Amino acid sequence: MMDLWDSLSALMQDIVLTVALLLPALILWRLVLRGFAPRPLIGALLWRFRWANALFVLLIAVSVGMGLGLLAQERGLREGTARAADKFDLVVTAPGSEITMMLATVYLQPSDVPLLDGATYQAIAAHKNVSIAAPLAFGDSFGASSVVGTTAEFVQHLSDGKIEGRLWESTAEAVIGARTPLQIGDAFEPAHGVGDAAEHDAHDADLTVVGRIGYTGTPWDRAVLVPIETIWEVHGLASGHAPGRSDQIGPPFDPDYFPGTPAIVVRADAMWANYALRSEFTRDAQTMAFFPGAVLSNLHRLMGDIRQAMSLMSLVTQCLVAASVLLGLFILSRLFMRQMALLRALGAPARFVFAVLWSYCTTLLVAGSVLGLGLGWITAMVLSRIISARTDILISARLSWTEFHYLAGFVSLMTLLSLLPALAVLRKPIVDGLRG
Amino acid sequence: MTLPLHVRDCVVRNRGGRVLVNVPHLDLLPGASLGIRGPSGAGKSTFLYALAGLLEGMDGEVHWGDTDLLTMSSARRASFRAANIGMIFQDFLLFEELDAAANASLAAMYLPKARRTGVKTRAMAQLAHLGLDASARSVASYSGGERQRVAIARALANEATILLADEPTASLDRAAADALIEDLVNRVRDHGTTLIAVSHDARLLDRMDRVLGLEDGQVAAGALP
Repeated sequence: MMDLWDSLSALMQDIVLTVALLLPALILWRLVLRGFAPRPLIGALLWRFRWANALFVLLIAVSVGMGLGLLAQERGLREGTARAADKFDLVVTAPGSEITMMLATVYLQPSDVPLLDGATYQAIAAHKNVSIAAPLAFGDSFGASSVVGTTAEFVQHLSDGKIEGRLWESTAEAVIGARTPLQIGDAFEPAHGVGDAAEHDAHDADLTVVGRIGYTGTPWDRAVLVPIETIWEVHGLASGHAPGRSDQIGPPFDPDYFPGTPAIVVRADAMWANYALRSEFTRDAQTMAFFPGAVLSNLHRLMGDIRQAMSLMSLVTQCLVAASVLLGLFILSRLFMRQMALLRALGAPARFVFAVLWSYCTTLLVAGSVLGLGLGWITAMVLSRIISARTDILISARLSWTEFHYLAGFVSLMTLLSLLPALAVLRKPIVDGLRG
Repeated sequence: MTLPLHVRDCVVRNRGGRVLVNVPHLDLLPGASLGIRGPSGAGKSTFLYALAGLLEGMDGEVHWGDTDLLTMSSARRASFRAANIGMIFQDFLLFEELDAAANASLAAMYLPKARRTGVKTRAMAQLAHLGLDASARSVASYSGGERQRVAIARALANEATILLADEPTASLDRAAADALIEDLVNRVRDHGTTLIAVSHDARLLDRMDRVLGLEDGQVAAGALP
């Protein structure tokens, strides 16, 4: 059985699981309505109490929508943050907190960190398995944009070669992210530091924007990228190159004239080599090498408990709302007790009366759930836009099969619970119902 | 097939055990009409419900032909009503959101598929016979007399041979009540349907073959002619 299951494609497994979760509701529907045609009557009841029904549907929709929206959002955030780290296979920094360094390098949330020296950089750059070793120097800013010093090679890697304009050719030139509020041809002066503490006149440098990289969906879309030599230059440090070669931009750097860099992004020529490089460059008191993807996944694992709690709370909330709605329906059903008694007096089988009431409740639940699916999609979309705008991490929260499974389970459970108000109406003696 | 009625020692009690209706003996030939009269609270409607098999825990016998309603399960009694009895109520009890045709053919929703078309056809024929157009407007816009005609069409759409009516004219003005009595009686006479009507309306009772008087749940002395 498990072999058969494993042999199915992921899509097929999702479809089978959704159908399996809906199966109790479908079987119930078939059993309850078999041989009857009560649709006009159900429509009449729905129309008679249309405002109350609309309110019930809306309540269910909002609770379902919020639950689905949050679940989709949480997954979108995980995927978005993971995607933002895609270009950062391995990062080497001075020993410290991996999370702090990951936030600084991948998500451009700079911190004061120790620098790696030229010898370390040289060792990494010269390693036989390293294809890119890009120093990153951060700490300066322009407005809300981080100014990051690096190499042209890293810009190519980050943008997959999608560059409008051109790359820099001197230390007075810069390349901007897709959403940086500058245009090609603009000149600007970087400030020392970031945020409110930035010193705006600390650097006497006028930089000109010569290129713009394509949209990456990462915080780097708002960055200003400059040659790392520019950062060293505006801070009055060595240029990274021996005297006589001081006009050179980019590697190779001369370890003797290398002022230091807070982080080095490393790309190995093969996947396996990353692991070797990580262990090689994890040296006590000297360097720390980490996979941002692994740090993220540890974080996500830690947050997994919160996610589960969130899912459970959302499910409980939805069930409570649905239970309140069922209670409301139970009270409402007393209003058409007379009509139900009439049906039974006319000779309708008890199962028919039961089918009418159950279908009425189920219609509201299913309508609320379907509307909730739409609301969940809108919620996820709005939240994604807000979070993307705030973090610059592209969050594309879409409803996935997980949400459909969740919804299918909810619908099945609630259709089963809908049996209760329907049964309650049948318990009332017919004559009591007829007399109102 | 029209069924004769035989009632023996029919006693209906409330939950506290108080006797609400006690009819020791009643026979009615197929196709006859019986009026039940009496003051309010005399147990007239309760007796009518007893004859329809709508009450639980009664004593005695209520036979429609060979069928003893009181020994049957509630499901079988419902099935018997569906096949033989049409019911008419004082306040019509229609589904206001449905049109006349859907109300009159209500039974088509729960009867087996093979019988649905027949019920719908007969419902339309009854409506036409009673002078109602089967337009798509909901019955909420109908007058009292028209609504009660829809209720009669509903009662007859399933070829009911027994009509049980509870104050069928009480919610109608005199002219509408007289027209309805005429329709009801003609219909019964033409088709040999048994009619039992609870009523305070002397004009309706006058048109019945027999009248049973009830007082405080007991058959009034000399009430059955």
